[in-house]
Amino acid sequence: MKINLHINGIDHPLEILPGDSLLKALRGLGLHSVKFGDEQGLTGSDTVLLDGRPINAGVYLAAQAEGHKIATLEALGEHPDQGWKKTDGLHPLQHSFIETGAIQCGYCTPAQILAAKDLVERKPNPTEAEVREALSGVLCRCTGYKKPVQAVMRAAAILRGEDVEPIDTPAPIPAPQEWLPAHEDGAAPAPFGGDPGIPQVDTRTRVMPQITIAPQEAELRIVGKPEPKVDAVKLAQGKPAFAADVEMRGMLYARVLTSPHAHARIKAIDASAARQLPGVAAVLTHTDIPRVVYSTAGQSHPIPGPLDCFSLDTKVRFVGDRVAFVAAETPEIADHALSLIQVDYEVLEPLLDTRQSMQPGAPILHDEPDYVNFADSDPSKNLAAEIRIDIGDLEKGFAEADRIFEAEYEVSKVQQAHIEPHVVVTYWDEDDRLVVRTSTQVPFHVRRMLAPVLGLPIKRIRVIKPRVGGGFGGKQEMLGEDIAGHLTIATGRPVLYEYTREEEFIASRSRHPMRITMKTGVKNDGTITANAMYALSDTGANGAHALTVTGNTGHKAMALYVGDGEYRKTPNIQFNADIVYTNHPPSGAYRGYGVPQGFWAVERHMDKIIDAMGFDPIEFRLKNALRAGELHPFSTAWSEGREPRPETIETNGLEECVRQGKAAVGWDQKYGNPEWQAIPGKPHLRRGIGVAMMMQGTAIPYLDMGGASIKMNDDGSFNLLIGATDLGTGSDTVLGQMAAEVLGCSLDDMIVYSSDTDFTPFDVGAYASSTTYISGAAVVNAAKKVAERIRIRAAGMFSQRQDVSSSGRQEALTFNAGDIQLSNRQAIAPDGRTLTLSEIALHTLHAEDQEQIMAVGSYYSPVAPPPFAAQFAEVTVDMETGQIVVDKLVMAVDSGVIVNPITASGQIEGGMVQALGYAVCEEMVYDASGQPRERDFRDYHIFMAHEMPELETIFVETYEPSHPFGIKAVAEIPLDGVAPAVGNAVFNAAAVHIDANPITPEKIWRGLKEK
Amino acid sequence: MIIEYHRPETIEAALVLLARKEPRTLPLGGGSVLNQPSDIPVAVVDVQSLGLNQIAARGNKLEIGAAATLQALLDTPETPLALKDAIRHEAAYNLRNMATAAGTLVAADGRSPFATVMLALGAELVFAIERTLALGEFLPLRANASASELITKISIPLNIKLSYQYVARTPADLPIVCAAAAQWSSGRTRLVLGGFGNSPLLALDGPNALGAPIAARDAYSEAGDQWASAAYRSDVAETLAKRAIQAFGASDKKEQN
Repeated sequence: MKINLHINGIDHPLEILPGDSLLKALRGLGLHSVKFGDEQGLTGSDTVLLDGRPINAGVYLAAQAEGHKIATLEALGEHPDQGWKKTDGLHPLQHSFIETGAIQCGYCTPAQILAAKDLVERKPNPTEAEVREALSGVLCRCTGYKKPVQAVMRAAAILRGEDVEPIDTPAPIPAPQEWLPAHEDGAAPAPFGGDPGIPQVDTRTRVMPQITIAPQEAELRIVGKPEPKVDAVKLAQGKPAFAADVEMRGMLYARVLTSPHAHARIKAIDASAARQLPGVAAVLTHTDIPRVVYSTAGQSHPIPGPLDCFSLDTKVRFVGDRVAFVAAETPEIADHALSLIQVDYEVLEPLLDTRQSMQPGAPILHDEPDYVNFADSDPSKNLAAEIRIDIGDLEKGFAEADRIFEAEYEVSKVQQAHIEPHVVVTYWDEDDRLVVRTSTQVPFHVRRMLAPVLGLPIKRIRVIKPRVGGGFGGKQEMLGEDIAGHLTIATGRPVLYEYTREEEFIASRSRHPMRITMKTGVKNDGTITANAMYALSDTGANGAHALTVTGNTGHKAMALYVGDGEYRKTPNIQFNADIVYTNHPPSGAYRGYGVPQGFWAVERHMDKIIDAMGFDPIEFRLKNALRAGELHPFSTAWSEGREPRPETIETNGLEECVRQGKAAVGWDQKYGNPEWQAIPGKPHLRRGIGVAMMMQGTAIPYLDMGGASIKMNDDGSFNLLIGATDLGTGSDTVLGQMAAEVLGCSLDDMIVYSSDTDFTPFDVGAYASSTTYISGAAVVNAAKKVAERIRIRAAGMFSQRQDVSSSGRQEALTFNAGDIQLSNRQAIAPDGRTLTLSEIALHTLHAEDQEQIMAVGSYYSPVAPPPFAAQFAEVTVDMETGQIVVDKLVMAVDSGVIVNPITASGQIEGGMVQALGYAVCEEMVYDASGQPRERDFRDYHIFMAHEMPELETIFVETYEPSHPFGIKAVAEIPLDGVAPAVGNAVFNAAAVHIDANPITPEKIWRGLKEK
Repeated sequence: MIIEYHRPETIEAALVLLARKEPRTLPLGGGSVLNQPSDIPVAVVDVQSLGLNQIAARGNKLEIGAAATLQALLDTPETPLALKDAIRHEAAYNLRNMATAAGTLVAADGRSPFATVMLALGAELVFAIERTLALGEFLPLRANASASELITKISIPLNIKLSYQYVARTPADLPIVCAAAAQWSSGRTRLVLGGFGNSPLLALDGPNALGAPIAARDAYSEAGDQWASAAYRSDVAETLAKRAIQAFGASDKKEQN
């Protein structure tokens, strides 16, 4: 049918199908700011303005939109620098989103800005609640919404003509409560929180407080500053930066036929009818492609896990497993073709309970002869991996204890839920090399792993990682790349494969669910004498990340509490785990990588001990916690399947984190205070407060490696090419800041590009909290080499100038390169003379002894310095219904030196909110036949802008000596403590111990009934 | 799968299209449900040009055009506060700008806050073919309802006390249990439960509120599924029913002030 759409002020006559969505029509016109997030309109990444109001274009027909005014982000603002053409620049909303750090991955940014535009035009002076309501239709998995709300409030103020605070003005550090006069004179503490019904979220735009407890090496100009993200301008405009934002002539659309059974053997497939359907270019079944065994885990070679995957197999092992691939001219034809494929299944008994996996007679998932073992894996017992770690003498420790506490805990299966789904485009280039444009965290691993699966040598594959719309571990996996690759090989044509949201839930990856048993010995003085954990981990149908995820459960969570006194020197710790197959969808990497599971058990267990023995929750934890100067207890026992080497903790700001966090949350006034716990006029409600302490790691020692290259340009700018992958975390920005710091230029002068396996140096990718530390050190190494060449050339130029102007005094005025300072885009001689970097570049490239100033740096680390943190949570519990509302989360974190406080605090805020879902609402549930309950965001609820608790982040800066700028990791630790802190707060409020997350109303209600 | 799109400008023209036996033809409101992927081929009749989006208070009734969006209803000053709460709980802002009042009721399952409150209000659906049906009668018949029965208007009373209570995993998550209570000046009280099953459930329609908590407990005594046990829902339904009735007193005080 023919329609006319009025888009961004221009009429567009279109020929469409009646069922075409407005999203499809707009993207077909090249308006890529409108993005696919799901089929139900619940992500809102497909937001457009229809007659000025935000709607979801994915669930609105193009035909419905005829006669209405449609606006997309493309109509808003322009890059301020377009050469000779003068522009009005960006809209204040776009400016504010950039300045405040509201943009992380940027996938939902166009939608948020459009929703905000509607609001500020309707209500120029909106309240915070109105801003949150306006943004409620757009899910964001990265930010925790705090900075987007700040951005809208700031833009509204600017649009009203008001002055706003500069963004880089640090807020004063809040004084701890005990320093306040009211406390000293014994007066009543200040009121807490105010009306519980009114949001208390701070929307002032400010840099988060930083407390430095260790000196840095030198004063820094760019590292430590809240620089705007280098990719923010394009993301604020909705530029076509993501994997699906390309249009290629002859592109085909891939779809996958998935298994309706949890466990079945494919007896026969008849794809003839599908192949004959007009518009179908290829149908592939297991008989059409080579059988190559591999692992999907995006890890370094050799992958530390079993090889137990095939692109297509004769057996299906979970509902959602692959059965056949189709490529067709349109997605609709591909869908139709799937319905024409006839599959004859022999349905097998499903294995859905980890406790049955290793029992005699249990169904065997991997009976294929080409299964490749790793370490202790044993497919005949459904065992994907086994871990046995003994540190010290556990039995001696228990014998020395006054009391021993044993308990079982459970953690749920949860989804990364990045708003951009897995998406990949493959095509042959003019040299018949396969180009893979994919939303991945691990482009170099994908290239290496994909090659044998497709029967291509590595050198004939090029992987391009464009902007990634969130990953959180879900894209540390090779999931769709082989599908598109097979179909491009079969058809010779470009292929786009984009997961549906249902496929994300049923056929991608998740956090490992576990059953965890804790046994802890404690002396009456509060000393832990022995601590043991056993984890039974559900890897699902495949063993990707099985060993390493669960290894980290113990390696991090069981390392924090070593005991006190002599036990600090020789702690008694045991960590055992069995990681077993089931007919659930495979588990995998998810931000935190096993550690949130461990801390749920450890920190809930600590509170039980504290309750039973009458200890103070904070004093008990700090008494037993690992300290600086001590050996990481696991460093001599385990290292991700490789040789362990001893590692000493150099920095640990945990005690200061506790002190600052306590002050910010008002712990001393609230904990154990029945007046605070009661809510006047609402006797069925009780408040509670809880704490958890955590440590994580920073990269994998002796394994993770990053590379960087830096090239100087004529104008004194630099191309920084990195293999590291920015998922929205801001790593491109912080790596650019480090390079600019060394090179004496501004961040504007760094043209940062990541990643392309043809052009950028190798990097393991974005995982294990490694990028800022490992890739950052690689950048610094490259930058130092470039800086050295600049100094040498500058020294020569200074000397030559002396030759001309002061003949005969050359010797006295010759400088060593080491005497030259690089600062403010200049080389500065000891006598104060200057050369601009542009002058040096032009001289070097064009004038004399020409050379390209350029260098490559790389780095791997012998250590993995842990960040430490204290997490506080406040909740309100309904004592009649079990309803829980989380009111406030405060996290104080020692991540070493913070390179960019805006991006780093954004990591903490977003991480805490993901972890909040783990605490109270996120889980993936399966029925007795393995059918999943969660297939969309209606059932899998993630937090929305208008239901958020107050979030507060405090950085306690230590200086980690192993890194050139003293940094440690920030990315994963916010996932670790929220759930147990909320669990502990629920116990504080309701005296009910919840041992299995998420903490649902019914679990609390049951606990209350059983009391 | 939508195979035909029509946008008639008169109700008569719409009814002619909807009366066709082939292809199956359905009214299209905002499209937030109907436009989701489906293998079933349908033709749709877009009602946006039929003038069905008006909302007007007439006497003691609020008449809501079938095509009025949830957001328009939320923005209407006369809309009862508890209904506004339920609308906010039903959908986030973007979807509220699309979803229509009638479409939401037609597509509602038991977890719909909007349908729960509308059922408590005793909403009446007015059809194009001179027919009025109480929402409580319509909901069980939806699957078999003739597509040609185009809803044009929904009518709710305004001279009532209304309360909406719920329990969910988070403030904006779908309800595990919700309860809506409406009370007329005569004392007539309707209590409806939601959070379970294919449709909200009328637990009480009596001359007064007496027995509402027990009625709620009984009504959900077998309301168990993957999301919650029947024992939990039953117990919480009783609690929420009590609170909903108590909230009438609170609203009385607000009115007096």
